[in-house]
Amino acid sequence: MSQYSQFIPLKSVPQGRLAIWLLIAGEFVIFGGLIICYLLYRMRYPEWAEQTKHTNTFLGALNMLVLLTGSYTGVRAHAAALNKQLNKIVLWMSISIICGFLFLINKSLEYAHEISNGLTFNSQKLQDAGDSVGSLFWSFYYIMTGLHATHVIVGIIVFTVILNQARKGKNLHRVELGVMYWHMVDIIWIFLFPLLYIAK
Amino acid sequence: MFLFRVFPDNISTYGQEIDDLFWLIFLFASIAFVISVFLLLYPLYKYHHKKAPKAQYITGEKKTHFKWVTIAVVLLALSDFAIMFAEHGTWAKIEQDPVTADLQIAVTGRQWNWIFTYPGKDGKLYTADDVMIDDQNSELHVPVNKNIVFDLKSRDVVHSFFLKNVRLKQDAIPGRTLKRWFNCTKEGKYEIVCSEICGVLHSQMRNWLVVDSQENFDNYLNSLYTNNKPKQ
Amino acid sequence: MEPSTSTHAHHPPQSFLSKYVFSSDHKVVGIQYTLTGLAMAAVGGFLAYVFRYNLAYPGSPIPLFGELSAQQYNEFVTCHGLIMVLWVAMPVIISGLGNLLIPIQIGTDDMAFPTLNMMSYWVFLLSCIILLASFFVPGGSAAGGWTMYPPLSANAYHNTNPDFWTALFSGNSLVIIALALEFVSMLMGGINFIVTTINKRAPGMTPMRVPVVVWMLNIASVMFMFAVGPVFAGAVLLLLDNVIGTGFYDPARGGDPILFEHLFWFFGHPEVYVLLLPSLGVIAEIISVFSRKPIFAYKTIIYLSLVSAVLSVMVWAHHQFVSGIDPRMATFFSVGTIIISIPFAGIFLSYMATLWGGSIRFTVPMLWAIGFIGVFLIGGLTGLFLGSNTFDIYVHGTYFVIAHFHYTLFPIVFLGFFAAFYFWFPKFTGKTLNVTLGKLHFWLTFFSFNGTFFVLFFNGLAGQHRRINDYTLFPSIMQEPYITFQKVATISAIILILSQFIFLFNFIYSLIKGKKAVNNPWNSSTLEWQTDSPPPHGNFHTYPVVYHGAYDYSMPEMKEVDFVPQNLPLEKKTI
Repeated sequence: MSQYSQFIPLKSVPQGRLAIWLLIAGEFVIFGGLIICYLLYRMRYPEWAEQTKHTNTFLGALNMLVLLTGSYTGVRAHAAALNKQLNKIVLWMSISIICGFLFLINKSLEYAHEISNGLTFNSQKLQDAGDSVGSLFWSFYYIMTGLHATHVIVGIIVFTVILNQARKGKNLHRVELGVMYWHMVDIIWIFLFPLLYIAK
Repeated sequence: MFLFRVFPDNISTYGQEIDDLFWLIFLFASIAFVISVFLLLYPLYKYHHKKAPKAQYITGEKKTHFKWVTIAVVLLALSDFAIMFAEHGTWAKIEQDPVTADLQIAVTGRQWNWIFTYPGKDGKLYTADDVMIDDQNSELHVPVNKNIVFDLKSRDVVHSFFLKNVRLKQDAIPGRTLKRWFNCTKEGKYEIVCSEICGVLHSQMRNWLVVDSQENFDNYLNSLYTNNKPKQ
Repeated sequence: MEPSTSTHAHHPPQSFLSKYVFSSDHKVVGIQYTLTGLAMAAVGGFLAYVFRYNLAYPGSPIPLFGELSAQQYNEFVTCHGLIMVLWVAMPVIISGLGNLLIPIQIGTDDMAFPTLNMMSYWVFLLSCIILLASFFVPGGSAAGGWTMYPPLSANAYHNTNPDFWTALFSGNSLVIIALALEFVSMLMGGINFIVTTINKRAPGMTPMRVPVVVWMLNIASVMFMFAVGPVFAGAVLLLLDNVIGTGFYDPARGGDPILFEHLFWFFGHPEVYVLLLPSLGVIAEIISVFSRKPIFAYKTIIYLSLVSAVLSVMVWAHHQFVSGIDPRMATFFSVGTIIISIPFAGIFLSYMATLWGGSIRFTVPMLWAIGFIGVFLIGGLTGLFLGSNTFDIYVHGTYFVIAHFHYTLFPIVFLGFFAAFYFWFPKFTGKTLNVTLGKLHFWLTFFSFNGTFFVLFFNGLAGQHRRINDYTLFPSIMQEPYITFQKVATISAIILILSQFIFLFNFIYSLIKGKKAVNNPWNSSTLEWQTDSPPPHGNFHTYPVVYHGAYDYSMPEMKEVDFVPQNLPLEKKTI
């Protein structure tokens, strides 16, 4: 027994969940700021429609599917965590992690395609062709999708860490937190996909 | 009221309205200030613990207590609306309402001076015979009592075109053309400054506004046409 | 699902490093933040001294520094602004106060996430180091004004294509990176504050029993989280413009510099209120304790703060009245700005009403609190002139603006901080400060501050524009009385800086030789005063249960004493 008495809080809201909600709010305003900047420019430059034709809607949609699948398996992992079924947690979370890698592979294929066409972050090709407004679109494309892909990488790392703990039956409540984060990454993609791929 | 003049000479048609607006807000602010300082300092004297050993228990949650705050806040709100009512006409006059241009010029900021462009003999801006003055210490000559409408642009960074005697200020934003106007009522030579930080020699960015009589201005413009080769 | 009780309180750290340096104890983190902030204030103050001296005596070498070039002048005014707002005000007012006060005032052992808390401090320290490093790279630190408006703040549009590494280690880029790290650190802190307050309040600590300063810190954290996102995105875009030469803000490439102004001020304006609210909370606390009265209209003050928080994120464009935004939009923002005076008038009048009918004790913290209200009053009222879009055409970018925002930010950051410092010093160090030195410090600071900035209002009204190192080219300014006013301002500023050495001496002397403080020297009823001075690791020996509001002073039924600690029932003891 220590010299300190046990602290009894007023309410027992799971504080990890609360913190993740706040983190999600913070991430949304950051992406929100980017998306608003993008929209303002998009409305000013209708000629960006020319550039959006180059984005691959199929791969974008596939990535959406991949992320949503990861979310679904994440939810299953959460359900398994509630029932303390360690094997199932490992199974479902592994599928989520694989989905994350699939997303990244897909994304790098896409990037490779665009870059091989000279559509880089700061496309010199378009600038040389006198279309510097068009090159601005690609700057936005890469910063938005790139920042999102970074979040996917973070998601994979988070899932791996949580999986490793959950495998031994430790910190099962963290499965939920990881899945919440994954949903956020998912939802951001749901915003980015129509903006960058569908609106042509 | 003060030992020195608060504002520099006003030479524009709308400058007096801005000065008057200052004194109006100053009046409201002073009243608010005097009342607040009284409310702040008087209790320090009256309710010092030597005079008032026991405090009264007033939570301020009752309506009868909060009444006094409400009254003061409503008074402040009324003076706020008085200020907004008073200022809006001037704002619309300077920034919104269309004016007929007696002279149309272009002013362009660059590091670190203002470039003035006068229309050529055809009287139209942005034609081949425009005259451009791009020089530190150069003067912007304008005729007195005429509406001068200018296009404000910037070549490199954000500048701010500030005519303190005209009471006019407008940022010059690269990539944008902004239209503003002024009308000077008094002949003389006044400063044009840049009031937005624009690089190392920001403090050297100063040109002159010279208000001429119509006759002198015509002579000046003619001398420009003869001396300067038209530039793009 | 998750046990939310903390277990770490059972093992107080022993070694010096884990106790004072890599500590996750909220008190240690708070003190680290405060001291780092004060060290940065010394840097910012020195910069201010250098360029203020230059303004009064242009061209002459500056004692302790030497010649000041135009480029250095621009750098110094830029970094003075950035440092004072983001590396002094934020750590001292938000993180310092928040870390020290939130857990102990709501009656808990520590923050919800102590490790995250510690990390937030180290990220902040890293950002400080990067910022200071920016002075020593070739080309010097950022010199485009603290608002960092592009294109001036983006190297790439000017230099002939700097390569990646040169651009990355230029002053502009380093400042942006430091800024981004600082935002990350403050976000970590903010999440911690909000979760702690929602989750870890002691039993009985209902929302309307929470001390005002905790409320204010939480409102400020929420505002900060909401406002910082866009500017974070904007800073990333600016960094990319700087380093790899994208054209987000380059008009030649289809970008728009005004976009950055919007993103910056969408954060920059609420930022003032983020700082103001915690300071107001401190003042409320002090005024209530030293007039031995409940805060007048406690609940209304909190509702008014929420209203002003909402209003404050809708008025950012009043910094851009002359930026060429749509004139009708400017009218909207002007109306919004002037309306913001209404909730704040309500708050300040409530403070004055708190004094009315009290039994006022003139202690050192009380002096600072009264000084705060008096000085801030001028800052707030001159805001009316600038909030009016029409008059702003004339005074925008002049010394009037400088005087105005120093009249708001100086009381918020320094008068507010010193009030808090003199109030809580006995609690967190266990030592008593020297009263005479404290009073001397107050009066010198008060008069020299007013001497510095009051005269500058007149310079502003004369049309003296900002950020000019040498006014010789401007005859309308190089005349009396404006030259004398500049000298008055400089001499007062030097006195202002020198008088802070009294504070420093008092601080160190009291820490070593001060009398031992009693647990509750001010007879305050909030929880932090009901434990040891300084509080033990874990804050309380017995975790408190809260029975009533934080400010129930001088209730009619109290006979012998005029307060009952929050952790004792009102009906028990001494009534």
